[in-house]
Amino acid sequence: MYIISNAIKNLFRNKGRNILIAAVTLAIIISAVVTLTINNASSVIIDEARLDIASRVDISIDLFTHGRDGRQTITVEQYVSFADSAYLRHTVFQAEMQAWFGNFFAVGDFEMGLTPPPDPNMPHSPVGKLTGHSEPSHISGFGTYRHFVEGRMFESINEAIITEELANLNSLQLGDIIHIESAFQHGKHFELEIVGIFSHEVDEVEAFQSIVWEMMGFSLPSMISQNEIFTSFETLMSVGWETADGLDMRLEYYLRNPNDLVRFEAEVRAKGLPDVFGVTINQAALDRVTGPLEGMRSAAMTFTIVILILGAIVLVLVSYLAIRERKYEVGVLRAMGMERGKIACGIFSEAIMITALCLIIGLGAGSAIAQPMADRLLAGEVETQAEAVMGAEEGGRVLMSGGQVQTDDPASGYRPISDIEVAIGMDVIIQIIFIALALAAVSSVIGIIRITQYEPLKILRERA
Amino acid sequence: MSTLALQNVTYKYEGSSKNIFKDVNMDFEKGKVYTIVGKSGAGKSTLLNLLAGLDTATEGSVTYENENLAEMNRNRYRAKNAGIIFQGLNLLTNATAIDNIVLSMNISGVSERNKKAKTYSLLEKVGISKEKATRKILKLSGGEQQRVAIARALAHDPELIVADEPTGNLDKQTEDSILKIFSSLAHDEGKCVIIVTHSKKVTNIADEMWGLDKGVFRQMTKDKK
Ligand SMILES: Nc1ncnc2c1ncn2[C@@H]1O[C@H](COP(=O)(O)OP(=O)(O)OP(=O)(O)O)[C@@H](O)[C@H]1O
Ligand SMILES: [Mg+2]
Repeated sequence: MYIISNAIKNLFRNKGRNILIAAVTLAIIISAVVTLTINNASSVIIDEARLDIASRVDISIDLFTHGRDGRQTITVEQYVSFADSAYLRHTVFQAEMQAWFGNFFAVGDFEMGLTPPPDPNMPHSPVGKLTGHSEPSHISGFGTYRHFVEGRMFESINEAIITEELANLNSLQLGDIIHIESAFQHGKHFELEIVGIFSHEVDEVEAFQSIVWEMMGFSLPSMISQNEIFTSFETLMSVGWETADGLDMRLEYYLRNPNDLVRFEAEVRAKGLPDVFGVTINQAALDRVTGPLEGMRSAAMTFTIVILILGAIVLVLVSYLAIRERKYEVGVLRAMGMERGKIACGIFSEAIMITALCLIIGLGAGSAIAQPMADRLLAGEVETQAEAVMGAEEGGRVLMSGGQVQTDDPASGYRPISDIEVAIGMDVIIQIIFIALALAAVSSVIGIIRITQYEPLKILRERA
Repeated sequence: MSTLALQNVTYKYEGSSKNIFKDVNMDFEKGKVYTIVGKSGAGKSTLLNLLAGLDTATEGSVTYENENLAEMNRNRYRAKNAGIIFQGLNLLTNATAIDNIVLSMNISGVSERNKKAKTYSLLEKVGISKEKATRKILKLSGGEQQRVAIARALAHDPELIVADEPTGNLDKQTEDSILKIFSSLAHDEGKCVIIVTHSKKVTNIADEMWGLDKGVFRQMTKDKK
């Protein structure tokens, strides 16, 4: 088709003008490629982090505002019933029971062990913990600071695993039966078979803590992690619990979709969850993990919007000047009998060809600089956030709970995402093609409309 | 049988109160060369614009093969039926002679397979060498540009040729060869050729001569002039 071949020739006939248009278009495309690539890659990562962090719902009382007492107001059954929801994909059932050991000593317990209080209806002093897990793989530390010395993980009901220290202290072996009771609720007994013995490396922080507590006269055997015995959640529940007294219910409810939080909360409220309980996700952790990414994303977005606006203005100006230049050409073509539509088609083809060329170069260049750009931006954001977090942690409060030191920073332990792998994908390419088409339209349509309105004679006369 | 006719044509530029001409009736036939002479500013180019379908009459009608140009697809008329040589040439100045002519042929829908070859031979006929044919129009002399414009007007083999001062920039010898072409187009190929001119030489090949003065056309006899 001659219109196309003439358009190609025109590109070379008007080099100066076309190079200017191409330069602006290229700048827009490259920055759009970089931003969209960064934006899409971070969206994916942010969504993953959201699914990972924000889909996990905790139902608990804010310890700092309400203390621990409120727990008794919902039953164990209620905790379990909340898991029966269409909004959840998964629930990890966990509970810790303050335990009294019946037929063996706790590590660090030299006074009270094996001596039940005179009144069996009075609570015993807890000497350890029995923790029930629905998913053994969720027990922290296995593979890192906890290692099996002997045996295996619990599988069937009434199986348990104990620490090496506890086994050594009492000469317990695989297959032995241990007797455990709830320290707070009378008559909840467990007869558990030892199926595994594991070592527990005490890290520096924990070692230091126990020294401090000992010095403060605070050292209770129940706060020593060697006295923690693990069993299945099923086993822990098998004795039947009317209240959660002496139980620390730690169920993790995982939403199918993090956006269902409000609906899930409405559902559990309807099931009788009192207002003192919060239904929360760890927003602070999510913010800490994704903060730098979000920052980078919005920086890149702002940059591109500026480029797009400036670029569009320049393109409109350049093409406005080009129109004046091209008016005569259009007059000549019209005088020779070329129809408006075909002339418009020719001008648009030129714009498309320039844009297509810029598109190819821009995709290449953009994808080459997207990664280094993302690395630099993200590093800057991570640094900024780290400074902010450090400031916040200095002013944080500390609470002792269940033998662990907790700061009131729920995001502690979460590290921001500081690496991102950006690669140009099909989605970006499609988005860029649309942007490119819009650019071609911007740089040609105004001209086409203005130019083709004129009668040829009028254009030719204007020049004369 | 007239191929092109003016019937009671009055023309007035928009926004102007003065008629350039009034109630003009003229017939142009195939196989003849017509020349139109008149003072500068008389309205010759204005008439040609009407004949070329670039403008429409204020009153009256211009018909081609009995069809009113005002109601015709005038793009098509200019592309296929008429070959126009403008006073201002109207060539694409930063394109080559070849490109100008091939583009024009394309616009006219010439079915010729090898348009370049035809263009070269056309340009050779008007005395433009192959080397000059591939130069940009801007790099050709006024006379050379004029001949490229003539070649372009003839490239799609139109039935009607309308030329505004086509030999103004040419030396006598070149003018002769161009006039031979015009004459042959009318007398051998049966086309209708209408030329606006000041040149005595051009009137020599004319079959009919018309003078335009104060908005009135008068046929003139050859010997008289
Ligand atoms: N667009 C216009 N608007 C108003 N008047 C015009 C316009 N174009 C031309 N004229 C006037 O119309 C008259 C005829 O102009 P035209 O170009 O037809 O003259 P011409 O006979 O071709 O002259 P020349 O021999 O100098 O080419 C002139 O007086 C001119 O000033
Ligand atoms: Mg004139």
